[in-house]
Amino acid sequence: MSGEMIALIMAGILMVGLFMGHPLAFVLGGTAVLGAVIAGKTQILGIVINRIFGDVLDNYVLIAIPLFVLMARFLSDSGVTDRMFEALRLLLARVTGGLGIAVVVISILLAATTGIIGASITVMGVMALKPMLQYGYSKRLSTGLIAASGCLGILIPPSIMLILMSSNSGLSVGELFAGAMVPGILLGLLYGLYVAAIAFFRPDLAPAVKTEERIGRAALARMLVVEAMPPLILIFGILGTMLAGIATATEASAVGALLALLIVIFRGRFELATFRSALYETARTSAMILFIVVGATAFTGVFNITGGLRATQNLMRALDMEPWMLITVMMLIVFVLGMFLDWTGIVLLSFPIFLPVVQEMGINQLWFVVLMAVVLQTSFLTPPFGYALFYMRAIAPKDVKISDIILGVLPFIGLIVAMALTIAAFPDLVTWLPDTLYRSK
Amino acid sequence: MLLIRLIDGLNEVVGRVVSWVAVLFAGLIIYDVVLRYVFNAPTLWAFDLTKHLFGFYFILLGGYALRHQAHVRVDLVTGALKPTPRRIVELLGYPLFFFPFAWVFVTQSYTFALRSWNQGETTYSAMQMPVYPVKIAMAVAAVLLLMQGVSEFLKLLLNKSEENRNVG
Amino acid sequence: QESWTMTTVWPASLELIEIDRKFVELANALTAGELSIELFDGGTLVPAGEVFGAVESGTVQAGADWPGYWAGRNTAFSPLSTHASLFNAVDYVNWIQQWGGADLYNEVYGQFGMVYLPYGVTNNESGFRTKKAIRNTEDLQGMRLRLSGLEQGRLLTQLGGSQVSMAGGEIYQALERGVIDGAEFSTPNVDWSGGFQQVTSHWATPGWHQSSSVFGVMINKASWDALSAETQQKLRIAADATMLWSLSFTEKRANDAYQQFKDAGIEITRMDDETLAKIQELANTTIETTACENPLSAKVYLSQVAYLNDYANWRDASAPFNLGRTPVGPSMDKLAECAK
Ligand code: NA
Ligand code: NA
Repeated sequence: MSGEMIALIMAGILMVGLFMGHPLAFVLGGTAVLGAVIAGKTQILGIVINRIFGDVLDNYVLIAIPLFVLMARFLSDSGVTDRMFEALRLLLARVTGGLGIAVVVISILLAATTGIIGASITVMGVMALKPMLQYGYSKRLSTGLIAASGCLGILIPPSIMLILMSSNSGLSVGELFAGAMVPGILLGLLYGLYVAAIAFFRPDLAPAVKTEERIGRAALARMLVVEAMPPLILIFGILGTMLAGIATATEASAVGALLALLIVIFRGRFELATFRSALYETARTSAMILFIVVGATAFTGVFNITGGLRATQNLMRALDMEPWMLITVMMLIVFVLGMFLDWTGIVLLSFPIFLPVVQEMGINQLWFVVLMAVVLQTSFLTPPFGYALFYMRAIAPKDVKISDIILGVLPFIGLIVAMALTIAAFPDLVTWLPDTLYRSK
Repeated sequence: MLLIRLIDGLNEVVGRVVSWVAVLFAGLIIYDVVLRYVFNAPTLWAFDLTKHLFGFYFILLGGYALRHQAHVRVDLVTGALKPTPRRIVELLGYPLFFFPFAWVFVTQSYTFALRSWNQGETTYSAMQMPVYPVKIAMAVAAVLLLMQGVSEFLKLLLNKSEENRNVG
Repeated sequence: QESWTMTTVWPASLELIEIDRKFVELANALTAGELSIELFDGGTLVPAGEVFGAVESGTVQAGADWPGYWAGRNTAFSPLSTHASLFNAVDYVNWIQQWGGADLYNEVYGQFGMVYLPYGVTNNESGFRTKKAIRNTEDLQGMRLRLSGLEQGRLLTQLGGSQVSMAGGEIYQALERGVIDGAEFSTPNVDWSGGFQQVTSHWATPGWHQSSSVFGVMINKASWDALSAETQQKLRIAADATMLWSLSFTEKRANDAYQQFKDAGIEITRMDDETLAKIQELANTTIETTACENPLSAKVYLSQVAYLNDYANWRDASAPFNLGRTPVGPSMDKLAECAK
């Protein structure tokens, strides 16, 4: 059977399993096994274990996932983050969509502390979803906003995705980090503007603070200092250990968990039972995330070895057109692949083909890679296969349907596309910062 | 059913114990950071040990997470079905997807671990730390996961699923 | 006609993959009609660290590697891949092709059901990239340096530095922010593409921690045995041709990159001879110690030191037109004792 055929069959089986409501991790893993059987290559199933061990178990940077989830659990279970958002909401009472904007700003700050997808989305989901729903924000807007701004964690440095992109291109980690910084922050601001616009035109979806809820300046100041400062200090503490060269990004996540625990203790909210249940919850959430990675790596390996990799590469190689048209088609391919594959697969699949072509055409490689990183933001949000959708589903209350989440992220996918077009029109947004930092070298 | 209770109980105990490993590797990382930054004397073993503990941690939690239905699923279609057809579709997922994967996971990780054990495989850093414990843990985790799958399958078959599953 | 799936430990972006591509290109051309090898870039089938296991178990027929990656399974893989302060690239070629080295590769890999064809050499690695100059051991005191390898780590500790382990992707940032004081990574051209010139100001040569390196392909024994003697011979020819090509190709690339670092304003210093002599002395002791923990490792080192001593007369007589130096290496008697 041809590689194209196997690839299509595997994609089909994946869709069927997904809609059967079977746990995603095992749909991916099971599809890998079925794919190998259908291809008549059961002897290759060994790579499933090789990949699970090498890509997930023996992967130091993934430690950030349980550590960040633990941090979020400590803060959220003890009520620290609920009160923080309440304080910020009251602070921004006169700003339309104030609470939503607070969520975006905190997402951007958190994005600067972690680069692991799964960590940032889950952290924001655990901390911000409850307050947003509680204050009357619609399910769709809340989940969409949190999912989209959670994804900023892998666009705004540090970022595991940019690190992989660097190691698969001639670009240094520093150049890529600097290049993605401005687009990442701008995208976050765009999300904030969108929430403000919704709050202005559709207050029923994002209600303002009622006049009788408002409190006096002194009370507000007190609330801000007591409730909002500690979690922010935490975020700056994590950033500080990284910037001061005390710890690497992964190590900083352990610092974050420790600081969160200290905040809970100093607020007098530490209880052994809560501590224990935070550990159990963290265990389940981390296993949920990491087993999706397990399934995805099994799927990708079998997909690649049975011919899916070559088939997709041949398809891409067949492209022959004007530069601007070619870039557009490349980004469309990335967008479509993002609906079905995870970002690691897409980067490994497309870089060896795209980058030489881009170089040959004399196009700035840094600009191209950052543009692709921005477009890849959609891969976390586009159904049927989007990590952010799944993570939100896993942590949201039961009455939030997956369809709410999917409808919720759609406008944000539109905003990402708008951002990609902006970068295409103004390449300086990408190249200015790295040029300033590294021009001489 | 006794079998269901036994399997659930086993994964519950394993899950609760293993959950605490997070405290261990968090502490270890901070310990190493302090030694390196404050005392300029990083350990030679913390990096490898932390990585191994992380491996133990998440892989052994697979069955525990399944027991609590924490593994995320897409219920776009099944959510609209009536309870009985929905149960049948969910039931079918196990022989189609879960059991083939779990079987490969068990058999392949068994030979994987056995090879490492026979070779006495270690890491190749200044501290030669054995690698086979974490590979053996992977095989054990595979068995725990397979068992929990059997339990979940039986629950669906006997219509005994708890209602507090993580679906909506 | 046989068809093989082959993968490598190198991702598409790392230039070392060019050696693997060269071999596959030559092998496919020579064995047309008998064998066709499909090479998959590193990471697309299995992660780098798992290539060994994938070939050993027969999941893929062949895997390109750097033998040192497998030293955790048997420390004898270490001297098959590189040395702390001993062979240069020509020494490896001499030893492999005429002084019995090739057999030792097959003895070690043979224990894991594999046949090995060494087909690539690179000479000296860059050395340390730091924010201050390292000219002697004094400068090394208390420095936190990213360095891989067991012997290398032991040696660095004896010299007064601290070995720091970290994930490859975190090195750049760790250097930039000062989590570590310096790092060794690879050859100059690979270091250049990693952007180390942006986060360090100094470069301390030579790369005593890795005086030269060997690359090649692991082949599952059953797959190898399924080939005709003629096809096997053609693969050996492809390997030998690739080996020679790799030497000049990688030296040219390293030389180009040296100039790039210089143009970027990196201060390049060479450690003084006294320090290098001291390092040689400590390296010898470290080699003797690690070799004596494993008879097979001792056997490999013994064969290598025997080559050095055997070749010393003619090499020194032909100076200054000789190929490299004759190091005062580890003690043959000690190694012979441990190789028993
Ligand atoms: Na980030
Ligand atoms: Na997607």
